[in-house]
Amino acid sequence: MVDLNLKAEPFLGHYSKGFKGVDLREIDDNSLVSLALPLGEESKAIKAIEAAFGIPVPDVGHSALAKNGAMRLLRLGRDQLFVVFLYEGMDSEPYIADKLAGAVYSTDQSHVWVTLEISGPSARAALERICPIDLNPDAFAIHQLARTNMEHLGTIIIRTAPDTYLLMSASSSAGSFLHAVETSIENVA
Amino acid sequence: MIINHPLLGPRDAAEFVYLGDAALIDRPDPSVADAAEKFHEYGYLRDNPAGEHQELWYHEQGDRSWLVVTRNTLSHEISKVELARDVAVARGRGR
Amino acid sequence: MSQTNRIKGGLVDRSQTLKFTFNGKSMQGHPGDTLASALLANGQKLVGRSFKYHRPRGIFSAGSYEPNALVELRTGAHQEPNTRATVAELFDGLTANSQNHRGPLEFDVMSGVDLLAPFLSAGFYYKTFMWPKAFWEKIYEPFIRMSAGLGSLSMQEDPDVYDKGFLHCDLLVIGAGPAGLSAALAAGRSGAKIILADEDFLFGGQLNAETYAVDGMAGSGWAAQAVAELAAMDNVRLMNRTTIYGAYDHGIFGALERCTDHLPTSGGKPRQILWKIYSKRSLLTAGATERPIAFGNNDRPGVMLAGAVRTYANRYGVAPGKRVAVFTNNDDGWRTATDLADKGIEIAAVIDSRDGTPRASIHGANMVMGGRIVDTAGRKGLKSLTLSNGQVIKADCLAVSGGWNPNVHLTCHQRGRPNWNDDLSAFVPGDDLPVGMSVAGAANGTLALGAALKDGRDRANEIVKDLGFKASRKAAPKAEDEAYKGAPFWHVGESRKRAWVDLQNDVTVKDIKQSHAEGFRSVEHLKRYTTLGMATDQGKTSNIPALAIMAECTGKTIPQTGTTIFRPPYTPIPMGALAGRARGKNFRPTRLTPSHIWAKENGATFVEVGNWMRAQWFARPGEKGWRDSVDREVEMTRASVGICDVTTLGKIDIQGKDAAEFLNHIYTNAFLKLPVGKVRYGLMLREDGIAYDDGTVARLGENHYVMTTTTANAVLVFRRLEFARQCLWPGLDVHLISTTDGWAQFAVAGSNSRSLLSKIVDDGFDLSNEAFPFMACAELTVCAGTPARLFRISFSGEMAFEIAVPARFGNAMMGVLMQAGEEFDAVPYGTEALGVMRIEKGHAAGNELNGQTTAVNLGLGGFVSQKKDCIGKTLSERPDLNRDDAIRLVGFKPVDPAKPLLAGSHFINKGDTANMANDQGWMSSVAFSPIMGHSIGLGFIKQGHERKGEIVRAVNPARGSEVDVEIVSPHFYDPEGGLQRG
Repeated sequence: MVDLNLKAEPFLGHYSKGFKGVDLREIDDNSLVSLALPLGEESKAIKAIEAAFGIPVPDVGHSALAKNGAMRLLRLGRDQLFVVFLYEGMDSEPYIADKLAGAVYSTDQSHVWVTLEISGPSARAALERICPIDLNPDAFAIHQLARTNMEHLGTIIIRTAPDTYLLMSASSSAGSFLHAVETSIENVA
Repeated sequence: MIINHPLLGPRDAAEFVYLGDAALIDRPDPSVADAAEKFHEYGYLRDNPAGEHQELWYHEQGDRSWLVVTRNTLSHEISKVELARDVAVARGRGR
Repeated sequence: MSQTNRIKGGLVDRSQTLKFTFNGKSMQGHPGDTLASALLANGQKLVGRSFKYHRPRGIFSAGSYEPNALVELRTGAHQEPNTRATVAELFDGLTANSQNHRGPLEFDVMSGVDLLAPFLSAGFYYKTFMWPKAFWEKIYEPFIRMSAGLGSLSMQEDPDVYDKGFLHCDLLVIGAGPAGLSAALAAGRSGAKIILADEDFLFGGQLNAETYAVDGMAGSGWAAQAVAELAAMDNVRLMNRTTIYGAYDHGIFGALERCTDHLPTSGGKPRQILWKIYSKRSLLTAGATERPIAFGNNDRPGVMLAGAVRTYANRYGVAPGKRVAVFTNNDDGWRTATDLADKGIEIAAVIDSRDGTPRASIHGANMVMGGRIVDTAGRKGLKSLTLSNGQVIKADCLAVSGGWNPNVHLTCHQRGRPNWNDDLSAFVPGDDLPVGMSVAGAANGTLALGAALKDGRDRANEIVKDLGFKASRKAAPKAEDEAYKGAPFWHVGESRKRAWVDLQNDVTVKDIKQSHAEGFRSVEHLKRYTTLGMATDQGKTSNIPALAIMAECTGKTIPQTGTTIFRPPYTPIPMGALAGRARGKNFRPTRLTPSHIWAKENGATFVEVGNWMRAQWFARPGEKGWRDSVDREVEMTRASVGICDVTTLGKIDIQGKDAAEFLNHIYTNAFLKLPVGKVRYGLMLREDGIAYDDGTVARLGENHYVMTTTTANAVLVFRRLEFARQCLWPGLDVHLISTTDGWAQFAVAGSNSRSLLSKIVDDGFDLSNEAFPFMACAELTVCAGTPARLFRISFSGEMAFEIAVPARFGNAMMGVLMQAGEEFDAVPYGTEALGVMRIEKGHAAGNELNGQTTAVNLGLGGFVSQKKDCIGKTLSERPDLNRDDAIRLVGFKPVDPAKPLLAGSHFINKGDTANMANDQGWMSSVAFSPIMGHSIGLGFIKQGHERKGEIVRAVNPARGSEVDVEIVSPHFYDPEGGLQRG
């Protein structure tokens, strides 16, 4: 009998590297589910989300973190959110759909995105080379997010701590995305 | 250019894709008698004003919203930015 | 050579000595020197040859507007031509060479060209080299290219790296002279976010060049103190060596930062950074540029701008000459004489074009009021000058001042026009400034120092208050307020000798007069006819004098004559900086399929499909060429089973109560009745009725559909769907999100596909034809619990499935499928075999959906539902798109099976001449079919569906091919479709 055991491989092999003033690593243990708010029933859907996860649904361009830090809601558009959460199983979308009981439309996005965490005192200087968004601390508060493009790649950037940012980009171009971020860091380090 | 997105604030035009005249929202009713003529106008005839122009921009590298941007084609001054969905609803579009 | 012309004082660091070479000669300078100041310190006056006439030329200015002193810096691949010596910062080991001469600089064999000058005046190009026609390419052009021009390229790839970046600020201050520093201090104290940029390596601008005092200290000392205060503010970003080169829409500025040009090597770091600066407001404090006066032989080395002469003395501690004369039309020129005299430099004469009394008394100097210089002498450097009264004055340096032009360039980048100011005889910023821009100091025509300092502070305070910050109450720094006094004087009419206006392009007063005489009166025409104002300096010292001379010719005023439009960039931007990182394979991102690593390990040859890298074929040992591999992949797939990564097809998750109705609007065919668990083919049109894209839609749940698009159109279709959702039918409850990258999807095709898959689907899932027939779909698990999606669809014509697993499982999935398929001789196949099989099956793809074809042309007329509307329906019914003789998609096979077919061939009926009038259509796709044993083609031909069996000619004149082909059904393989349903 042949071994038909199927294993998941992280997009960037659990990349992790320290640079002068910056740390960069792949975050591979998050699940990600998108939520679409049904037309005309947005407020009902928002109430359901808040009830299910105990997190107030943030405004567009912001994220909100659960008290235990295990789940973050990203408000990407008027009718679209992402739920980013720690989850062991492979059924992350049914898990979320179950909790929301039809109040939203949900789609698994866990494998659509590669996630990098960039942190350290020089992180912002490195991002200045590729990110058109104003990341000045007063312009881009902690938990604020933006969906933009960096080096021709669509990217979601979330500020999670004073000097820490999550960067999410398409998984198929993970290598190019890592190269873009690494180059930025090396160019300022 | 900078487009002041109604939900997201000022964003570089490089995040957007340009389509053209916001009259493209007004897709004709295919059931009227002169539908072919109407669709011909809709598909091929555009005003090309030197001055204020309502145009469609798509925030492809952003929240995926279509916007109606009122831009002066001479000065590039942008006087108004609206969600195209709201404009479409206001113009009576529905299902 | 020692630094013979180095004098005391200045802002260079004499504790360190830097060695450099010029044309191989060893020289020395100090930190704080530019190449130009160091050359002058070493007594090197001759630094290059002119563009057209190969005239000896020296250093003319002390700034980025230098027209003459263009040099090549560095060697080998690092060599950079046309660098202005006046802004090149000296470093230890710098190698510099002069340009545009053959043989040594001192004995340029091309200098004879100067004797041809009478034949080379304005427009000579267009007049002289007209005939014989054949001479242009072989003789004239090579000669002109050899004799004219500037530096030369290394012809090697640029070894440096470049970067780009984005900056944001409340206020961008452009230029760090007195007004800029004073503005930045005021604005910085308010707490607003400030960027202060200056092209120089040393902040201070004119303060470093002059002997004025500010707040009771030396101007340069005050500047250094201001910079120290600014550097301590968190809200201020100081950017020296940074040129703001363009003012763009809505407060966006382009900036070039030169990071390592002043260092011997870049150390692998970006040499330059091209910044995009987003500013809420901007303040232009770019100062002013001195302009020359034109007179006979005014281009000799040693003839310099007066402000530059005292800049070299004051800032760099260099005497540009031993015996200096001044020619001026304003009081400021006198400062050069007094400053230099104070430093003990002999002043030969001050010649003022104005009448009246001398503005200063200088010991031993000849004072000539109402004076005119008509000629100069000295072949490789100035020796003497001759006045209109015949007097000859010996001097080795002549400092010329024709007044000052405010640097209004950036105010004009949005098509604003400057205003003429009679007091200054210069253009000042107009009323139509770029959005958010203010102007202060000399750039605004405020030339007096004290006033400029106050102007900078006041404007900055206005701006920050406007932005909601609290303005600092601190007073403006105090300085002398000597008013600028001068009278316009542009050129010496009495001169019989050539008088240069544009030194860089060798344009003389006579050329301008000639161009006027020939009818080129508009300034834009003058510029293009004479080349005045072109190249690296963009006429910064020549435009206004040229305009004045043209005004004189036309009898109009200068403002009536006009001004040329200033466009970005302010100073040249290297191509490398514009390219940034986008070089080689970093030109665009690369997308990899989930099984990329597996494919690489298994001999795949890859092909770029948009940004994707896809396996094209998998060569096996012994195969002699790609055809061997592709034929085998097709044969083995058709014989048993093959596997192909098809992840690149766009996947769009569509949900909502109205999703089916939405799809009905999008596709030509009906979707309201597609049951859950089924897949349907769909065709999209453009609104003009032309076919746009095709794919499948699988209904996974009551309100849940998954659409596939072609690889090429994935992004475009998504965009159109969002347009339809938000703009056309905003009342529908429907939501879209791309899942293209989320699912690794594999086609498993061939008679053994079911047997193979049955080994990996988790127990209980029935793959039988009854339970899971053609066009079925399901969500299931595979390999003990991994979620998957299964679709019974076929692009190859075989019984086939597409199986999708989450992308992180994709690489392993390919291995698992191959392992499970081992007993069936499963084969991986690439895009070539995929293409061959789809042509054999007669499926349309991108070559057929090429933006010119309709559903009718494609043989898909039946897919356009007559019971509902959809995008493109109305216009697809236009009579001309539905003519009886419309082209139809059919198959073609060569009458002689040995003959290959060529895509792009056009069809011509037998007996007709092969021309466009007789064109019957074209061949869109061809392949060698290993199943048929000959070439096959798909193509469009008029009324093709009624012409089966007819022989026509497939003609391809571009590639010299003509083949007789028979019109056949496009379905070469299994035309009844029994296999895919089996």
